[in-house]
Amino acid sequence: MKIFLRQMIAIVRLSFIELLRRNDLYALLALALTLMIPLSMASPFGAGGAGRYLDEVALLLVWGFSLFIAVGAGSRLLPPEFANRTIYPLLAKPISRGRLLLGKYLGAMLSSSAAVLLFYFLFAGSVLLRGGTLSMALVEAVVLHILFVALAVAVSLLGSLIFTPSANLVLSAGMLTAMFFFGRRLPEYAQGVSSALAFVINAVYALAPHAEFFDMRMRVIHGHGPVDAVVMVIVCLYAVAYVAALLCVSTAIFRRKKV
Amino acid sequence: MEVVSIQCASRSFGEIHAVRDLTLKLAAGEIMGFLGTNGAGKTTTIKMMLGLIVPTSGKVAVLGGDPRTPSVRAQVGYMPEIAYYYPYLNARELLSFYGGICALDKDLVRERTEVLLAKVGLADAAIRPLKTYSKGMLQRAGIAQALLNDPALLVLDEPFTGLDPLARIHFRELMKELRDAGKTIFFSSHELGETELLCDQVAIMKNGRAVYRGPVRDLAGEGEKNLERLFLDVLAKGGEE
Repeated sequence: MKIFLRQMIAIVRLSFIELLRRNDLYALLALALTLMIPLSMASPFGAGGAGRYLDEVALLLVWGFSLFIAVGAGSRLLPPEFANRTIYPLLAKPISRGRLLLGKYLGAMLSSSAAVLLFYFLFAGSVLLRGGTLSMALVEAVVLHILFVALAVAVSLLGSLIFTPSANLVLSAGMLTAMFFFGRRLPEYAQGVSSALAFVINAVYALAPHAEFFDMRMRVIHGHGPVDAVVMVIVCLYAVAYVAALLCVSTAIFRRKKV
Repeated sequence: MEVVSIQCASRSFGEIHAVRDLTLKLAAGEIMGFLGTNGAGKTTTIKMMLGLIVPTSGKVAVLGGDPRTPSVRAQVGYMPEIAYYYPYLNARELLSFYGGICALDKDLVRERTEVLLAKVGLADAAIRPLKTYSKGMLQRAGIAQALLNDPALLVLDEPFTGLDPLARIHFRELMKELRDAGKTIFFSSHELGETELLCDQVAIMKNGRAVYRGPVRDLAGEGEKNLERLFLDVLAKGGEE
């Protein structure tokens, strides 16, 4: 256990150092501040309710940035190790491929989650500056958003073992974005089309990661309050099970990968 | 005691026979140079020794065990030919990372890091990002990471690549110092002169087969017969030893 922990800490620490020393996070933070500060000061048309639109824009930005960071982090976990040949000294050390992959995943997931938390702090600040209040729903929204990040990192990690880096970025980000916006409507789309197409749509609905399950933007914006605890638990279990399945498949592929 | 024991090992990749029926033994405290032209099977042999790939047939044992097991790997240090180590880290952080992967105690890693960085001549550049390092400096960082776990067996792939003449001399001294401390060293190289100066044993590969194995001292004092002559002779003959 001590060995496992030391190895995990080393890999997770590497991910945080990478996040802090790459320019991506700072560029996104600067962009977020540039957009959110004017938003937090705006009061369009003097209407109090218009603040909801500002929240919607701000939260959409947070989701977009988090997707960018999570998919980027997941897709960068292994390909640079091969390209830079650092995979050889790493695999020659006393660590199994499964453990290495798990550590890499945890590092990317935790560092991306930390970035998401930072964006939510900015969002909360912009809400408070406009004289708004923060609800319990926001806490749930953050928890679900972090679970989404965990899912996105696992999706792009698996993609990085199958596709080329650019194809993986496009496919992972495209699939997650499509599911985020259209996932809940897939059963509707399956109605009134040919049976073959309906089968494909239903298969996508059953197998694709449901990014929309983690989206609580509307509840936060409209002040609907927190969701039922049972629903939260089910969504959390869905995320954990999905991530575990993706990691198992990734490990199986990584173990067979020629070095 | 045999630190490396390869018995009739072969490795194929589809139709390509990278290594054929290779038998090699390396005793504790010896330095073996592993020579051969490009594509002769040197890297495949090293990968089998590290447990990164398994032989199609035959057996590879390192320190009496399967090189894929973590307990064996914990006693092996490996430096690849050229690795572009994490550019956003500095040398101290790099060694700290590898120390964590080896599950070494933090204080021990800190202590060894300072000693090793001084030994490989990177003490003054310890906090510089690796992206600013030259090829030779990256190679030296690679040597330091390979030595971090105080390995019984050191496996080096083309260790002289990128090293300037002074660094080569220091490297040679370091290897001799390690041998005197009882370490076993196995390295592949195209540098025949350096190999002759450093090694106790040499093995020459051609088309996946070992065409020569023997002690370097046998070459001494035979007039024109040096390692370069031998290398050319055995490659020209191409037969078994």
